[in-house]
Amino acid sequence: MTSKRWQGAAASAAMATGLALSSAPATAQSNDAQAALAARLDQLAAELAAVKAELARLQQQQAANAAPVANVPATVPIATVTASAAVAAQGAGLVAEPTTVLTSYGEINYNRPTRDSKNAVSDVRRFVLGYQHRFDEKTKVVTELEVEHAVSSSSDPGEVEVEQAYIERQLTSKVAARAGLFLMPFGLLNENHEPTAFYGVERNFVETAIIPSTWREGGLQFVVGFDNGLAAQAGVTTGFDLGKWDATSTKGAASPLGAIHQELALAKARDLSVFGALNWRGVPGLLVGASLFTGGATHGETVASSRVTLWDLHARYTPGRWDLSSVYSRGTISNTPDFNTPLVGSQALIPKCFDGWYGQAAYHLWSEGDYALAPFVRWEQFNTARSFADLGAGLTPPAARTERVITVGTNFNIGSSIVLKADYQRFREKTDNNRLDLGLGWSF
Amino acid sequence: MRIELAGAVVAACAAAPTSVFAVDYMSAEQAARLMFPDADRLEARDVVLDAAQLQALAAHGINARSARWPVTIARRGPTTLGYVVADAVVGKFELIGYAVGVALDGAVTQVEILSYRESHGGEIRLPAWRRQFAGKTAESPMRVGEDIANISGATLSCTHVTDGVRRIVAVVQAAAKSGSLR
Repeated sequence: MTSKRWQGAAASAAMATGLALSSAPATAQSNDAQAALAARLDQLAAELAAVKAELARLQQQQAANAAPVANVPATVPIATVTASAAVAAQGAGLVAEPTTVLTSYGEINYNRPTRDSKNAVSDVRRFVLGYQHRFDEKTKVVTELEVEHAVSSSSDPGEVEVEQAYIERQLTSKVAARAGLFLMPFGLLNENHEPTAFYGVERNFVETAIIPSTWREGGLQFVVGFDNGLAAQAGVTTGFDLGKWDATSTKGAASPLGAIHQELALAKARDLSVFGALNWRGVPGLLVGASLFTGGATHGETVASSRVTLWDLHARYTPGRWDLSSVYSRGTISNTPDFNTPLVGSQALIPKCFDGWYGQAAYHLWSEGDYALAPFVRWEQFNTARSFADLGAGLTPPAARTERVITVGTNFNIGSSIVLKADYQRFREKTDNNRLDLGLGWSF
Repeated sequence: MRIELAGAVVAACAAAPTSVFAVDYMSAEQAARLMFPDADRLEARDVVLDAAQLQALAAHGINARSARWPVTIARRGPTTLGYVVADAVVGKFELIGYAVGVALDGAVTQVEILSYRESHGGEIRLPAWRRQFAGKTAESPMRVGEDIANISGATLSCTHVTDGVRRIVAVVQAAAKSGSLR
């Protein structure tokens, strides 16, 4: 029954009351008649109260069904027009927005060197669980807890890491702030590193060897956007620790900054770092951006001080079915002679400069229902020791050879949350690394 | 340490920003007024699709998600100007509120973002991205990577809003054909 019908019933009851009163003969007010009339009035009053209660209940129910997301008035006059009006509430078939959201992504990979198949491995590369919880309309916490290589113990290769743990607060309607452990806004991959977000089984080399993804620091940052599509991020964070450099390890040669990152694990924080990033998305499908990070890396532990600086330029363009992207990044470590001289003769000295770039083209070739196929090709050149600072004749190590890698493969998506991947990677320098990769990934 | 540099950058950025991270930008009513400024009244109408209509939508790959859709009809005097449907979809983790204006011929007139809560991808509010939907009809592909360009870093938000607009256009067309929006 609609509210109008209930209102009609109430009006009828009131009219009946009036008729009953007016029809009572004034001259024949016997006690019986008065008692009957009083009883009748009581009955009508009770019915009217019941009608009102039912009407209120129905109105509440209608309001709850009609406005799950936003409170919109049922009747909305426009400007000075007096005609009745209304706006339909939003949300068909929606439930109320949850304040806590469980998130996860994972990658299970298979790598088979084509010239050295005995080194084929299969690995739960990453398994990540996280949550986002919104304390109020302006404040939320974002976390991710990651397990690498399936098992973490003293005799296993795995690691357990807190990858993100920050509070985001909307300071005004125009500026947001993040504090805690957050991902650094570098390149195209670091902040969007879920397996469904990139092509290829493994993350590209430039954004692992030069930009040490998943790169995160602890600190404070501000995020601002502009009407022209420009977004700016800037902040103060922890940085690297050159004291972690292990000259007997190959880690530094694989990724100089990956070997000295701190990941906010009892991070030395005497020297803070600053960063800034600009990204412009003013044209649909186009992203052009740049980032800069610089900060001390010795924390007062040595007489000499050293500074780590990293910058990058990146672009992505997605016209129609094409997905084209490129990143160039370059890093420097200052005053390395003071640290390298005692290490002369060791396996890995600290480079002065390292850099790399890639160009990638993907094409969304086919889709049917939830299935989508996107083959891609990527060309990379990177050098983790582009140059060493001069240590004197016979002591300065030669620059490393620039590695060049071509990757050809395809992503096969099932919906937007699951991806199967296959690719082949061919190395120009370390040809023993040529390999076939297979991968399974998910993200939600 | 260059804290001064960071402070200067932040100060410069805050000079003329847009509200990328604001939660609520406008109400459904404000969106309807914006889309049909000549309307003298907005009339709420609950459209309820029947089983045959839902099946017909499903046959065209449209999951209507609900049989009941609240539609706002914009009128000026005896003339119907168009329709507005406000909805919400999940972006990457959180709900994105949006509204779609549809002309009498079934073509999208305008898309407005009502609310956005994700940490990344607020650029879907940019007019340049939303303008891509203007003129699209139920016969248009309306798919990211085809006739709608993606925003790097906001793929899921773009995809899900695009899917939502496609769904609304199809629902409005089905409702209009059945006479539910007169």
